[in-house]
Amino acid sequence: MITLTNLSKIFRTELIETHALRNVNLQVNEGEFVALTGPSGSGKSTLLNILGTLEGFDEGDYLLDGKSVNGLPDSELSKLRNQKIGFIFQSFNLIKDFSIYDNIELPLRYRGLKAKERKDRIESALELVGLQARRNYLPSQLSGGQQQRVAIARAIAGQPRILLADEPTGNLDSLMARQVMELLEQINKQGCTILMVTHDPDQARRASRNIQIVDGQLHDSTLYEPLASQSA
Amino acid sequence: MEQFIYYLKVSLKSIKRAPLPYALTILILSVGLGVFFANATFYYRLNSDPLPDKSDKLFFPMTLITPYECNNCLPPRVLSYSNVQKLSNSGIPSAQAAMYSSAGYARLTLENLPTPVSLRVTQRDFFEMFEVPILHGTVWSDGSAENQVLVTKATALSLFGRTDVVGESILLDDITFSVIGVLNDWQMLPRLYDANGRNHLSEGADIYLPLETGYDLNYLSNTNSVSYDDTDYRQLATEGRAGALHQLQFWVQLDTPADQQRYQQFMLRLAEDEKSAGRHPAPINNQLVPITEIVDYFGDASGDIEAFALVTLLFLVVCLLNAIHLALNRYLSNQYEFSLRRALGASRSQLQLQMLADVLLMTIFSLAGALLIAYAGVVLMNALLPQNSLFSSWDIALIIALVMAALICSYIVTLYPSLRASFGSLNQQLKE
Repeated sequence: MITLTNLSKIFRTELIETHALRNVNLQVNEGEFVALTGPSGSGKSTLLNILGTLEGFDEGDYLLDGKSVNGLPDSELSKLRNQKIGFIFQSFNLIKDFSIYDNIELPLRYRGLKAKERKDRIESALELVGLQARRNYLPSQLSGGQQQRVAIARAIAGQPRILLADEPTGNLDSLMARQVMELLEQINKQGCTILMVTHDPDQARRASRNIQIVDGQLHDSTLYEPLASQSA
Repeated sequence: MEQFIYYLKVSLKSIKRAPLPYALTILILSVGLGVFFANATFYYRLNSDPLPDKSDKLFFPMTLITPYECNNCLPPRVLSYSNVQKLSNSGIPSAQAAMYSSAGYARLTLENLPTPVSLRVTQRDFFEMFEVPILHGTVWSDGSAENQVLVTKATALSLFGRTDVVGESILLDDITFSVIGVLNDWQMLPRLYDANGRNHLSEGADIYLPLETGYDLNYLSNTNSVSYDDTDYRQLATEGRAGALHQLQFWVQLDTPADQQRYQQFMLRLAEDEKSAGRHPAPINNQLVPITEIVDYFGDASGDIEAFALVTLLFLVVCLLNAIHLALNRYLSNQYEFSLRRALGASRSQLQLQMLADVLLMTIFSLAGALLIAYAGVVLMNALLPQNSLFSSWDIALIIALVMAALICSYIVTLYPSLRASFGSLNQQLKE
């Protein structure tokens, strides 16, 4: 589903060049739950941003569903983000003066879905994250965990095939973090491919595969049994 | 449509987020547009063509047939009666009329108090040439002296209290005249047939009487007259027609370029004949000025309005730059939201549609403000320059022009900031 071949990313300033990613080769199959771990500044968020087409790259190639995203025009990249990829950010990135419903509706608006279909999708996303009763609340009226669940609802309402989560529990306490992780596992079980950046080794172990990034290079790739299978 | 309504709602939310900078942007834009539009109203009116269908056919002939030596002299703005007679014999124009303005007092009976009235002493073709609408009656039948007048609708209402007064009599300077026609509402603006000084900016006459009658009754021009001898021209009836008193404006309608060429040839021949006869010692200098150029030719263009137009245009540019600066700050503070929308799948073209919704709202608000300020500006200019007050009305073309100006300005104010906000590193902007 995702194939990265010799992918490199360099950040340049007038004085220095920083190799954020060096010759990264990666294959992610449909339905995988991949944890990206590594020290701060190792390039994991950069990799996630490139996978989400929020950022370009300098060398190599990135194939999504067998098609290269390199050189795609803005309109194609937008379509790709809108239809295939869902984002969950560490700081939730909700629009403060939009209701929960309106926030979740945002990507669906740009897809041009009819009002009825938008409503149906938002309702089922709200049901999945357990926030039906809060649909008219503003983000500031919710706890951090609830806000992250709204962000997840927004990401999955478009029924993406890939969910990219950048430290989704980074701003949450342990109870809320566990709830969010359970939610992500549930979404993954429904067939959605998830790539998640995390610092937390426990969370990384909950993924089916752990990719470590150090100095912009993939160092280790460990396959874990799904947590549910382990406990069984 | 549903999506555009959504964009409008998003725009309104964005305004609510920071209402003060937005209100300031609207205020600046409204002031710039309003001041510009107030001045543009006068500029447009003063430079408009009052007879667009025939303005290319109406000409003002002038000739330097004067009985004295004069080098480098311009032909006088007015003609003598005898020169008009000579020019009238060409047979080339499809219509021609000599005229001048005068003044008198009108009343219905000797028992009434007399009312001051303005007069236009002219010939019958005047009404056809300048498309004067007749409400009742007709114009006089020929060029002979008759005590017959046409009055404006307002004059008829003022004197008689009604408009259908054909056949009634009035006393003009205590001489009885029969009313043969009533003009419908008519205001030729600018009144180019009377371009002299700034007469073209003033209202038309109240009463119209035949040229020969005007001469017979010693009505002298009250605007521009020149004489080249010591004759007492107050005795217009006896001295005015033969003497060297120049007081007549003369207009001819020349329907084709060939007619215009022929008329110029005719004027040249006339001047040469006069010179041969010893009545024209000065060098030949004939002019045939189109009606649309007559104000400029006489140097009577409203320089103050043109200067104001330039100043207000520059002011509008300054306001635009300020509004762009404010809008840029507003958009950059919303850049995070732009980036979030792009990250969630909005294309740049969809963001540009959002920008169009912003433009529409800004147009509506700034247009409303501009109309108020323009109205106040027009009132102020009428107070400062009362001679231009006839040119302060708005018509649909002007309103459409203001709407377009507001739309274009709002687009300019929104375009650059929104483009700036929709470009750049998504990743970076989402982190900020």
